[in-house]
Amino acid sequence: DERRAPLRTWANACGPIDRWQPVEVDEPRMAPVKMEPERKWVHNCPVILSSSHSGGDGCVEQTALLYPHGLQSLHSLQALVPSLLRLEVEKSLEALGLIWDRSYAWDVFLDIMRTQTRNMLPNADLPQHFTDATRAVLVNWLIQVHEMMHFQDETLYLAIHLLNCSLRHIKVTTANLQLLGMVCLFLAAKKEESLLPEVSGLCYLMDHTYTKHQLLRMERKVLCGLKFNLSYSPPLHFLVLLASVARCSAKAVWMARYLLELSLLEGQCLVFLPVQLAGAALCLSRQVLQEPQTPEGEAAWCLASSIHVGSETVVLRIMHILAKAAATAHAQETCATFIKFSSPETLHVSRHLGLKNISALLGVCP
Amino acid sequence: MANTTSVQYEPVAEIGGGAYGTVYKARDIESGQFVALKSVRVQTDQNGLPISTVREVALLRRLEQFDHPNVVRLMDVCATQRSDQETKVTLVFEHVDQDLKTYLERAPAPGLSPDCIKDLMRQLLCGLAFLHSNRVMHRDLKPENILVTSQGQVKLADFGLARIYSCHMALTPVVVTLWYRPPEVLLQSSYATPVDIWSTGCIFAEMFRRKPLFCGESEVDQLGKIFEVIGLPPEDEWPTDITLSRKNFPPLMPRPIADVVSEINEQGGKLLLNMLTFDPLKRISALNALEHPYFHDDETLTQTKS
Repeated sequence: DERRAPLRTWANACGPIDRWQPVEVDEPRMAPVKMEPERKWVHNCPVILSSSHSGGDGCVEQTALLYPHGLQSLHSLQALVPSLLRLEVEKSLEALGLIWDRSYAWDVFLDIMRTQTRNMLPNADLPQHFTDATRAVLVNWLIQVHEMMHFQDETLYLAIHLLNCSLRHIKVTTANLQLLGMVCLFLAAKKEESLLPEVSGLCYLMDHTYTKHQLLRMERKVLCGLKFNLSYSPPLHFLVLLASVARCSAKAVWMARYLLELSLLEGQCLVFLPVQLAGAALCLSRQVLQEPQTPEGEAAWCLASSIHVGSETVVLRIMHILAKAAATAHAQETCATFIKFSSPETLHVSRHLGLKNISALLGVCP
Repeated sequence: MANTTSVQYEPVAEIGGGAYGTVYKARDIESGQFVALKSVRVQTDQNGLPISTVREVALLRRLEQFDHPNVVRLMDVCATQRSDQETKVTLVFEHVDQDLKTYLERAPAPGLSPDCIKDLMRQLLCGLAFLHSNRVMHRDLKPENILVTSQGQVKLADFGLARIYSCHMALTPVVVTLWYRPPEVLLQSSYATPVDIWSTGCIFAEMFRRKPLFCGESEVDQLGKIFEVIGLPPEDEWPTDITLSRKNFPPLMPRPIADVVSEINEQGGKLLLNMLTFDPLKRISALNALEHPYFHDDETLTQTKS
C-alpha cells in the first residue's frame, strides 16, 4: 500500500481547487423521468419529415415511394422511421467530422453499433485485490493526468477501457496497479494522440516509483495480453452523435459529458454498452436541466431515443447510478471530474443545483 | 514473456523468405491447427513500441473483428523484447497451403475455366473492397500473397504490412517483383488504393494467360512493357511531380486487349482495361469493379436469381 503513495500524493495535490464561479441557476423543476412512449412517434414524425424534405436529400422521397398508400397511416409512418433515423445519423456523423465520405456513413454507424457489443465485458467482476474504491482512486488519478497532458477526451475513454480489459487478461499485483493504469493511458495516447509524453515524464508523475524499464515491460505485457486489440468505440462518440440527432443544447451536451465521465469511476458501469451509457447520460442531463421544450426538439429527441428501443430498463438503471454519483460527486475523494466540469468552459455543469437534490433525482429514477 | 509464442507454436518448416523477412509454418500446440508465423523486428527507443506499429497492428486486429471471408485470419499477436533497441512483433496468421501462383501452375492444360476466373476475381475484389473501405491498401498484391484454399476460397494475405515492416525493410534491401507495380509507383509519383487495382488487373490477365502480363527487368523496362500494351499516355496525364520525362518512351498506340489476353470475353476485356488505366484517378475502384457487367452476364447467377 505504501507503493501507492504517489497516487495519493498526486490526488491530494490536485484537491478541490476552486476553479468555479457561482452560477445562477433557476430552481430546477423536477419532473418524473419516463421513457418517451412509443405513441409520440405518431405526433412527432411529420415535423421531422417536413424538415428532411426541405433538406433535399433523396432518402425520404425514396421511402415515400416505397409506401405510396398514404403517409397518414400509422403503419407507413412506423415503416418510415428507420430511414429518418438513418438520414439524421448520416447528417450528424458528417457534421461532427466523424466520417469523411457520407456514402460510408451508415456502414460506419452500423459498424460501431456492432463492435461495441464485442468490446463489452461479460461482468463487472474485478480481480480480488482490486475493489471498486481502489478502482475509483486509480481512474480519478488517470483523469487528472489525462487533463494535465491536454489529451483528447477519446484518449481517456480508451485508456479506461484498456484498463478494464487488462485487469481481466493479465495478472497485476496491487503494487503495480498504478503502473498498469499509466501504461493504459500511454497506449491510448499512442493510438489517439499526435503528441506523446516522454516515458521519463510519466515515471516522474509516478514519483519514480517505477523505472522506465518496468513501464516498457508493462507496455509489452498489456499489448500481448490484449493481443493488440486497441480499437474501441467510446461512449463519447455515441453521446455527441445522439446529441446531434436530438438537437440538444450546448449546456445539455456538457451536462451529459459530465455525467458520462462520472460513469468511468463507477465499477458497476463496466457491463453497459457505450451507446446505453451515452443515452442514459443524455436523458438524465435533459431531466436535470429541464430546458423549455419545442415540438421540433421533442421530435428530434424521440428519433434519437429510438436507438434505445428495447433497452429502456437498462438505460433507467444507468441513470439511477449516474444520478447518485452526480449527487455525491463534490464530497468524494475522487472528485477530479467534478472539478473539471465546474469550469466556465464547461458551463459549470457539475455545480448545477439540479444535481444536488439527490432525493428528487433518485425519486425520479426508481 | 519471451517464450510464450515459441511455447504455444511449434515451428514445422520455413516457408519462404517473403519481402519482409522469414515466415515459418508452425503448429498451434493447443488446437493442432497450422499457422503462419511472421516476425518483424521493430526499432524501439526509450518510448517503447513506435506509434506506427501500435496503430497498424491495432488496425489489423480491428479488421479481424469483421471476419471477412476473403481476408486471411490474424489469430494472435505478440511483442517480445530482443534488446534495448529492438522488439520482435510476431503476427500469427492462419495457414493456407496454396497460393494463386501454385493454383495457376497446378491447373490442368487448357487452364482455368472462364467461370472459375470470374469467381476468383469476384472474391479477390470483395476482399480488396473490404480493405479499401477500411482505409487499408495492400501495396504489394501478387499471386504469391493471394491464397486459395482447397475449397477454392480466396484469401488476401500480407496486406497492411508494409508500414509495420518499414523499419525492417530499410535494413535489408530485398528484391520485390516489379511485375504487378502500377505506373505511378514505377514513376515514383504519389499513390493510393488504386495501386491494388492495377495489380489486380495484372493478375486478372495472368489467370487467362497463365504467365505474367508485364515482365519488366527494371523500372523503365517495366514501364516500356506496360506502354506497349496500353499505349503511351497523353501528355496531360503524365504526372508533374516526377523526374522521368515522357519523352524517354516511344509514342506507342494501345494494342487491342484480345491480342494480349486472347481467351477473355468482351466485358472481361473492358473491365481489364478499366483496371489497367494509366491515370490512378480514372482507374476503376474495387466496389465499382464488382458492379461491372462482366460479373452480371453470368448464366448461373441469373438462374439462381429467378
